[in-house]
Amino acid sequence: MILVPITFRGGVYRHDEVMDYIEDLGGYIIQKHDIAQEVVLQVLIPKDDIERFRAFTRPLAGEVTASPLVGTEIAVVIPSLEIHHLPHSACDIAEYLRTVGAKTNMVGLARGFGKRISQLNDEERDVINEHDIAVYVLGNFETCIQEKFNGLRRGVHVPVILTGAPPVDALKRITDPPSAGYVGNLGRFMHRTRTEADIGRLDAVVEEVARVLDLTRDELAQDPLSVSPARLQDVIQEGVPEIDEVYSPTPITVQLAGLRVKLPFTRYAETIRRLPVEEGVTVGDIADVIPSRMRDYILVRIKPFSETHIVV
Amino acid sequence: MDRYEVECFEEAGRDIYKQITSTVLQDHNLTSVISKLRIFIDPRIPIFVAVGTIRDAGGSVRVSDIGSVQRQADSATISVRDETHLAKLLVKLNTIFGYDHVDQPDRFTILLSDTEIPDGFENIEVTNRADTVFRDLIYALTVIAPEGFKVRRESYGKRQFFYVASENTLSEHVVEDIVAGQFALIGEEIR
Repeated sequence: MILVPITFRGGVYRHDEVMDYIEDLGGYIIQKHDIAQEVVLQVLIPKDDIERFRAFTRPLAGEVTASPLVGTEIAVVIPSLEIHHLPHSACDIAEYLRTVGAKTNMVGLARGFGKRISQLNDEERDVINEHDIAVYVLGNFETCIQEKFNGLRRGVHVPVILTGAPPVDALKRITDPPSAGYVGNLGRFMHRTRTEADIGRLDAVVEEVARVLDLTRDELAQDPLSVSPARLQDVIQEGVPEIDEVYSPTPITVQLAGLRVKLPFTRYAETIRRLPVEEGVTVGDIADVIPSRMRDYILVRIKPFSETHIVV
Repeated sequence: MDRYEVECFEEAGRDIYKQITSTVLQDHNLTSVISKLRIFIDPRIPIFVAVGTIRDAGGSVRVSDIGSVQRQADSATISVRDETHLAKLLVKLNTIFGYDHVDQPDRFTILLSDTEIPDGFENIEVTNRADTVFRDLIYALTVIAPEGFKVRRESYGKRQFFYVASENTLSEHVVEDIVAGQFALIGEEIR
């Protein structure tokens, strides 16, 4: 069954029926926002059932749109979050990626600024590596990007998308080894993105992120995961009721090949490892439950089929 | 501005810095103050230099610029129009009339009570833009300069200013030579 990411936007009225219907179809609700009179659901739904779902929501005046980034966690990396240089373009990029369903985290480096003096420390590197993809929002000069980019991605093994003011061709020319993706004409600008041209540049970022994530998804399909991350989210939600007391907007963040559970590792790791997914199969059998470098969260990395010989 | 240029050998960087400079100067209300501005950036060195001159910025802000004054016998009401210099106005009023006679019941109203309101009260100078304009200008240039250029040298006075920033230490004679060269390009000499 191929699950497709979509966003449902509709009124509060009868939205519980929509949620039930998604579960009946075998889909998963990744995130639910209640915004005044509106409900926004980010959902993974079986590909063949999209039309059926659309027909179901039509009388409720709901809107169903494709959101290629639902179920992914993206790091937006910026050399500094300095107060003098606000508003940072990375803020708008992170915000815009959220509108298409991604969960983004801003990673403002402690000493990322400068050409000669820029550094990436081990904590920053590990935090970036916990994401599905990293979008590097660098500056306006080719010379600087060329000199500092390799230092800033040392040890980062997730796909990196490089953005900066020089055009894409120039970015490609100065990056060695090549990066997973490029978006030009961005860089540092000191205004909020409001004009059509600005939004066009943000759309280019979304497009590039979606393209690179599709490649990652194809790679994952070669050796499928032992369980879908969305299903594991359901299992943890049912098995660990304390998750409902977490005030974070996404107490469980779904990634392409894992989850970030926002509960203390020392107290809950063992509970999560022992949770049954199916008869005779626990979470610990099919996934590594490891401490995250982000606060004291838990990182669940799902093992591929080739390692466990189990698919649930 | 009479003259405004940005020089950099990288085209994309130059265009964006031109845009950043106008945005920042507009945000800080400085476009009308600056007469000439030249920015030179060379990321290879790396160095960021801004030199320029300012116009006469001596704009006095008086009580009547902040709000309108309605007088009664021994009291007055100021209806605030522009809040920008309100804090300074309140300090001034407290100094002149004393805390007991100055009250601000809401955001846009100031009451002066049981006190003698001097003639020409509306024309009392609250602040003068010239006192702060250079400071504002240097702050704006800090905002414009690239991130990471933490080594700075700045100077202002006699209607001229310059701001040099780099991530490497800047020796005195290098700064002087570069700054003098940049001033020459806008037809000025360091005074």
